[in-house]
Amino acid sequence: MAANFWTSSHYKQLLDPEEVHVVHPLDKERGITLEDFKLIKLHMSNYIARLAQDVKVRQRVVATAITYMRRVYVRRSMTEYDPRLVAPTCLYLASKAEESTVQARLFVFYIKKLYSDDKYSLYRFDRFEVKEILEMEMKILEALNYYLVVFHPYRALSQLLQDAGMNDATQLTWGLVNDTYKMDLILIHPPHLIALACIYIASVQKDKENTAWFEELRVDMNVVKNIAMEILDFYDGHKLITDERVNSAMNKLAK
Amino acid sequence: MSELDQLLTKKVADRYLKREVLGEGTYGVVYKAIDTKTEQTVAIKKIRLGKQKEGVNFTALREIKLLKELKDPNIIELIDAFPHKGNLHLVFEFMETDLEAVIRDRNIVLSPADIKSYLQMTLKGLAFCHKKWVLHRDMKPNNLLIGPRGQLKLADFGLARIFGSPDRRFTHQVFARWYRAPELLFGAKQYGPGVDVWAAACIFAELLLRRPFLQGNSDIDQLGKIFAAFGTPKPSQWPDMIYLPDYVEYQYVPGQSLRTLFPMASDDALDLLSKMFMYDPKARISAQQALEHRYFSSVPPPTEPALLPRPPPKKESASFKVSDFNSQGGPTVLSPPRKSRRVMPQREGFEMNPHQIDKIDEHGNENRQAAGERSEHVPMSLDFSVFGMKLPTRPTINSADRSHLKRKLDLEFQQPEEE
Repeated sequence: MAANFWTSSHYKQLLDPEEVHVVHPLDKERGITLEDFKLIKLHMSNYIARLAQDVKVRQRVVATAITYMRRVYVRRSMTEYDPRLVAPTCLYLASKAEESTVQARLFVFYIKKLYSDDKYSLYRFDRFEVKEILEMEMKILEALNYYLVVFHPYRALSQLLQDAGMNDATQLTWGLVNDTYKMDLILIHPPHLIALACIYIASVQKDKENTAWFEELRVDMNVVKNIAMEILDFYDGHKLITDERVNSAMNKLAK
Repeated sequence: MSELDQLLTKKVADRYLKREVLGEGTYGVVYKAIDTKTEQTVAIKKIRLGKQKEGVNFTALREIKLLKELKDPNIIELIDAFPHKGNLHLVFEFMETDLEAVIRDRNIVLSPADIKSYLQMTLKGLAFCHKKWVLHRDMKPNNLLIGPRGQLKLADFGLARIFGSPDRRFTHQVFARWYRAPELLFGAKQYGPGVDVWAAACIFAELLLRRPFLQGNSDIDQLGKIFAAFGTPKPSQWPDMIYLPDYVEYQYVPGQSLRTLFPMASDDALDLLSKMFMYDPKARISAQQALEHRYFSSVPPPTEPALLPRPPPKKESASFKVSDFNSQGGPTVLSPPRKSRRVMPQREGFEMNPHQIDKIDEHGNENRQAAGERSEHVPMSLDFSVFGMKLPTRPTINSADRSHLKRKLDLEFQQPEEE
């Protein structure tokens, strides 16, 4: 656990779920429901991860980019801040903020390459050039109130796994943590609790008796359990997501 | 109201009254302004969004990122940031002068208590950075700014970095040469807060001597100067030295005693100095430990910041006062931009491309890291086929487990004693 998390802007900015799950009035006018809203954010998170594979940045950059994007939509509307432009710009900004800068023109190249494929035509955004990304970068910085440091569960995860003697669960828990970015958990909970929730799920699944270890940690296990439940609920709900639902949500954005 | 009057009272971002240009910063013009919200004088850095087509300058972004997290009386405050006419502007508290101007001013006498006070404020700012896992990496007297009430504050975080992960590799091309720690000069890529402490020690020495202490004119010469002062390090003093990337054996020279080098300093001062100048970064005193050193509790106590000797107001500031006065009567011509005071000989190589080297170097590291991470890459755990984007998929949890898991998750846990 990073010793300085408790004094960080990240900690001070943690939100209640009720603050996160609010559809902006402008988006409501377009008929975007809370479900659509979550679906679009999930969808764009996946897009960021996909784009990141092409531009070759670390998982940490992906996680930071998704966090930026989710923070933007706590206060801004998708109507004014088109997710198809916001998502790649967040990845561009995160690559700089996480000290792995990728050139803007390279981003544009890979974005175009990705949507030239019919499968990804959903992401087509016609005004997509370096200029647009750089203009959006400034708007995103403003929307984030210039707070750029984000903490992630990964570091806590490896330390905790070691402490719990569960190094064999690294792959499983790492995958679970990656999946938590498909939700808004990073805006709501301290990262080490998210890591613990993933370890919790893994220990139950692997039938590893860890109760004593969890109890020794000075954390509120009810919170950890609730996060774990939320993750499992998400996996359940995820089954029901179809192409049609994603398309219909995305189409509400396009005028 | 005349056109010029209107121009003078026009607020930037509905809040700031623009005044004269103060100088040319690392990445753009800096000008003085009045914050109409707080009546405070501020310095606004306008960040050029340039021809390079890379949006907000990378160095500026670093500074924003870190200063938003670092709020301390001994660290420059980033008051606000805003876009204006397509450029990003950073608003800092206005600082009158810097430590270099104090050291260079021949009319200023620095008493031992004054030196103690300046060093204490430097170390306080540094200890705060290190507590927050931030390395400053560009400590030198003209990055230590001095405010209107004598407070010293660390500024210019354009080279600063978070050093969270223990095995992170960084570029060694940081710091102005004279303030560079020996491990950096030997090409160390994994270094820690000790590099800032070494630089603080150089600043301490500079306060005592009133001139830069170790003025090398190349990296090799810098090491030569260091060894000439303290003696060539023996492996027993610094066991890891020989493993550093650019390590070369230097001919043995004996050092001089600190007493000879700093005849006027107190024993406590010399003891602290020797601990800050330890060759082995592992043995070097930390900023926090340095603050707890008896030097700071022994007499004389450090001078109150407000009572510290400072250079008289600069010519430019004086002319600003005149123009300020005039402006009440009518339009006035603002004073000409102050030339950047900084003249650092033998810095050309550094000046020209620290950023570039940094970038390239880090990029190299990045690739190495990325490669490292890819090998352990854990595939995403959900099936993405619904999105038409097939990621290397292996379900983390398969559906059969889930209800079973949920039941088991419902175990009762004892409440922790402390929450």
